[in-house]
Amino acid sequence: MKLGLWNSVAIVLGFSFLVVFLDEYIVKPWRHKKWERKAASGDKEAERLLKMARSAKVSDE
Amino acid sequence: MALDYEVPQDKRLLYWLGDKLIDYRHPVSVVVLLVTAVFAYWGFQLHLVTSFGDLLPQDHPYVKIHNKYSGTFGGANNINIMIQVKEGSIFTVETLNKIWKMTEGLDKVYGVNHNQIDSIAHRTVRYLKVAAGGTMRAQPVMLEPVKTPEEAANIRRIVHNAENIYGLLVSLDDKAALIRANFIEGRLDYQRIFTEVNENVVDPFKDANTEVFVAGEPRLYGWVYHYAGDVFFILVITYCIEWVLRWMYFHDWRGALRPTITGLIAAFWGLGFIYLIGLALDPLMLVMPFLITARAVSHAIQMHDRYYEEFEKSGWHKRRAIVAAFAELFVPTLSGITTDAFGVLVILLVPVVMLQKLAITASWWILAITISEMLLNPIVYYYLKPPEPELVVMRERGTFRQWINRFVGVLLTSTGKTITVAAWIVATLIALYFVRDLTIGDPTSASPLLWADSPYNVSHKAIQDKFGGVEPLIVVDEGYDKDAMKDPGALHSMEKLQRYLERDQSIGYSLSLADIIRAVDSVFHELEPKWGVIPDDWVSVGGLFFIYFSGSPPTETAKYVTPDYTTSHVTFFCKDHKGENIRRIIKETKEFISNSEINELGVTLDFSQEGQVAVKSVLPEPIWEKAGPSWVVGSQASGDAPFKAGDHIVKVGKLDVKNEQEFRTALMERADNSTLLDFRVERGGEAMDTTVGAPWKAVFKLAGGLIGTLAAANEELVRNDALMNFLGFFTMYMIMLFTYRSFAAGVYLLAPLALSNVMVNAYMAANHIGVNIHTLPLVTVGLGFGIDYGLYIVSRTIEEIRVRGDLEDSVREALETSGKAVTFTAVTMVISTVFWMSSNIRFNAEMGLLLAIWMAISYVGSQTLTPVLIVLFRPRFIMKEANRAPAMTSMAPQRAAR
Repeated sequence: MKLGLWNSVAIVLGFSFLVVFLDEYIVKPWRHKKWERKAASGDKEAERLLKMARSAKVSDE
Repeated sequence: MALDYEVPQDKRLLYWLGDKLIDYRHPVSVVVLLVTAVFAYWGFQLHLVTSFGDLLPQDHPYVKIHNKYSGTFGGANNINIMIQVKEGSIFTVETLNKIWKMTEGLDKVYGVNHNQIDSIAHRTVRYLKVAAGGTMRAQPVMLEPVKTPEEAANIRRIVHNAENIYGLLVSLDDKAALIRANFIEGRLDYQRIFTEVNENVVDPFKDANTEVFVAGEPRLYGWVYHYAGDVFFILVITYCIEWVLRWMYFHDWRGALRPTITGLIAAFWGLGFIYLIGLALDPLMLVMPFLITARAVSHAIQMHDRYYEEFEKSGWHKRRAIVAAFAELFVPTLSGITTDAFGVLVILLVPVVMLQKLAITASWWILAITISEMLLNPIVYYYLKPPEPELVVMRERGTFRQWINRFVGVLLTSTGKTITVAAWIVATLIALYFVRDLTIGDPTSASPLLWADSPYNVSHKAIQDKFGGVEPLIVVDEGYDKDAMKDPGALHSMEKLQRYLERDQSIGYSLSLADIIRAVDSVFHELEPKWGVIPDDWVSVGGLFFIYFSGSPPTETAKYVTPDYTTSHVTFFCKDHKGENIRRIIKETKEFISNSEINELGVTLDFSQEGQVAVKSVLPEPIWEKAGPSWVVGSQASGDAPFKAGDHIVKVGKLDVKNEQEFRTALMERADNSTLLDFRVERGGEAMDTTVGAPWKAVFKLAGGLIGTLAAANEELVRNDALMNFLGFFTMYMIMLFTYRSFAAGVYLLAPLALSNVMVNAYMAANHIGVNIHTLPLVTVGLGFGIDYGLYIVSRTIEEIRVRGDLEDSVREALETSGKAVTFTAVTMVISTVFWMSSNIRFNAEMGLLLAIWMAISYVGSQTLTPVLIVLFRPRFIMKEANRAPAMTSMAPQRAAR
């Protein structure tokens, strides 16, 4: 298939949405669980960092 | 929320600006988006167009001559079509009829100059036929399609006896014929010409025994347009890979999106501006927008990385993090953008319209990054959800950061510093060795725009091999008065020029009016070879021209000589357009012209004494006599002459002449413009002025055709290259001076850049990439872009030393934070730029690779040499900031006081 302007735009848009979907619904939960497992396995640094991050209060303003 | 917390006093204004941008985010967003929408609309109206005239330095004397005569004597836009048979000869009914139909087809292609088609099947290619009663007339070789083998044999006989056809339009082995056409420059539509040539001239005539090859500039650009669609594939691949890399780096899709927004907005502004000022996109310049967009993305990555850092530092306060990232990176970002934008502007110096347009549009496009990156940046962050603290914390302590920390640790040890300096010295010395071979112009005979095995270069080589040379250099012989071309002296000069230049290995063959007159004279005398000469009187010459041209309309004869016989030309068909060969041919031509003029003045000159042009001897010819105040060529010896042996010529026209070069240049310039030559001569210690009437009827003027125009472009590049480099560095130095208020800052930042510059030039030399009007802007843009990386490191070092006090500690922190983002940016940019290597357009592929190498070397310099030099020499502009943490201040009390 020879790429032109509009099918290129369609591909990059589709790809971007795919990345957003993967990030929100697959990678982030997976990464979160990985850190939790690491902290649970006795990694003190991971435990400390996770605790620090969870105690953070984000100001969205 | 207002700015009710403490901020560094010296950056209070920047914090205030960032804060206000968030306050007024809605109106600012609406205005920017509306303007962007307008620019985007304009951007979508753009088309790919290459304007041949824009590629030429229009004020160069060669181009002026080219423009003046390209309509009649032929321009630079020739298409050469070779039809070749594998078995037998072309003199068969079938092949000759193919040539007939191909010539007809070519005559119908859009933009072709109908009077400048050369083919044995075209009306303009004629031979002399002796008719009943002893009369002679010039008749087209083929008057109609061939019907019988006898007619084909007759055409072979005609061709073999025509000096202007055999070897020029039909190969000496009878296996190939050449069809050549010139295109009108104002009607060059490369895509249409490409398609129509394929449909009308090439595709229908290929078969098992017949091959068709097409070369020439319009065909070359046609292929470039044909391949231009590659850019979409490259952009899609690059976009996807960059998204994945940024996503992996930031651990969040927003990190991939934000730089995309910056790049897109800058691109719309840039493309819209190009349309707004009436320009178009050149398919050979598509790497440039890509590169600028990549720089926009690069700045955005720096900002995004800093936002994460400030988010953690500010206690997970989104607005404060946005404002701090904006304020802290404002100076290096703005300096980087300004340096890039003004660095590109130096291309304006080259008087080539295309380059000047490119300089303006690239500069604007880069400046547009200030809108997308700086003005809109805090607003976009504010609209987006902040990153999750878990993500920021873990990312900051991730594997990539650990690699960077380890590298920085090694770099800043004594051994690391020594190795760094030593490695850069060795690399620079090696580069200096190679850079000597850098050429101006094209370094190879094939077109560097396409790959060596591309259909175009294969065709080009096949035609060159068969016919010796296809790239024209047109030397115009411009008469002072009408009928000048009937002067036997003028014709003899043309012939001498042909024989002189044909000794050059790069000249394939040549054609001039002198060849025609010799051939006609020979035919007129029953093909006796001894009559194949130029007659020695005007009347005989005029008579022979009458015989040859009388049956042809002026539109046909104009390709040889102007209708009033004032001006003609010698066309040399060169074997290649290598920069060095063009320079040598032009030099030889100038030498010939100058030597002829000196000889015709009847003197020999002695240039051996420094600062003097002495008359060595006076020749017996011509005979001079006085006509009023001037000397003119006469018929009766007066015993006197304008020059005497021992005279010193000190002035020609208004120009002082002190050496050979100055004398030759001044004489040619004077002769080009006047029939009266003014000299100032010192004789016996006295200065005297003398005026001499030019003893020649016409002067040779350089130069038209592809070779002439390339010579002009190359001369302009040589003239401006050093100045452009100097001004490029000077501009960057001045911006560094104002940014850091230090004379030394520029040295620390520009030194690695200068070394990178040498290395990239060395790479170009080693890989046979010449400096030409296509490579020059990309190389210049690369020069400016290399400094951005260093700016982020130096700015962060200054920021850190104010708090930490220790130089080495500050450099380490700068490399571990800003350096990390710089590393990521460099890696992604290099990876994405390298994808251009997949392009069918060799120029784009090589430029992509070249820029990737450039960015890689600049990056390595900014991460190794710059920090090591700073640590070793402890520059004052950084050390004076030690322990001078800015006082903190809050805007809130001031607001309350109001």
